[in-house]
Amino acid sequence: MGLFDIFKKKDNALVLGAHMKGKCVSIHEVPDPTFGEEILGKGIAVIPSDGHVYAPADGVISTVFPTGHAVGITTPDGAEILIHVGLDTVELNGAPFEIKVRAEQSVKKGDLLLVADLEKIKEAGKNTITPVVICNSDAYAKIEAFTDKEVVPGDDVMKLAK
Amino acid sequence: MKQFTYTITDALGIHARPAGLLVKKAAEFKSTVTVDNGVKKGDAKKIMSLMMMAVKQGHNVTFTIEGEDEDAAAAALEAFMKENL
Repeated sequence: MGLFDIFKKKDNALVLGAHMKGKCVSIHEVPDPTFGEEILGKGIAVIPSDGHVYAPADGVISTVFPTGHAVGITTPDGAEILIHVGLDTVELNGAPFEIKVRAEQSVKKGDLLLVADLEKIKEAGKNTITPVVICNSDAYAKIEAFTDKEVVPGDDVMKLAK
Repeated sequence: MKQFTYTITDALGIHARPAGLLVKKAAEFKSTVTVDNGVKKGDAKKIMSLMMMAVKQGHNVTFTIEGEDEDAAAAALEAFMKENL
């Protein structure tokens, strides 16, 4: 036991980085009950000013929706993260989305996952607000969200503690 | 154990919103609920597990429900599928 062991007390918290550039807001501000009422889990959302979407944490791509509008990542400690670009964008059949990853691929925090054409989404009459939710929120004792601020990809937006 | 098979009629398949609602419904019951589309199996109480199955229109999904409230759960889930998917 050395002095440094005191500081090695394990902090199991997982800090998620912003997935897009824009304004980070509370999940409750998402005007879609699936997200706003936390049916899919706790999270945050970004009102994006740029369509590049990055991995909020290290993990494995668990699912890529065939339409390219949503990506799931499972982190090494089991957090199930879902990124859903825009609202009702499943109806756009993939047109505004250029997916950069495939299922079962490993990614690092900050890796590019997909590029969304925000203008096309708006032209189609859809909201571009992009929620990130923890599908297995119940597995965590505490989920903190750091919202109401402008963010660039990688800025701290959520902290998950078991 | 109760089982039923349902053919997905929703053009978009089981995407985020219906997956969330299905999990919410399944969570109302104590029974375990397994979904099988012939390719993959999923846990109807876990959103990511359901979405990973990538169930599309026309797919047959078989629900297997096991537990003390399996009768009520099977009836409720079958009604949910007919109404939403």
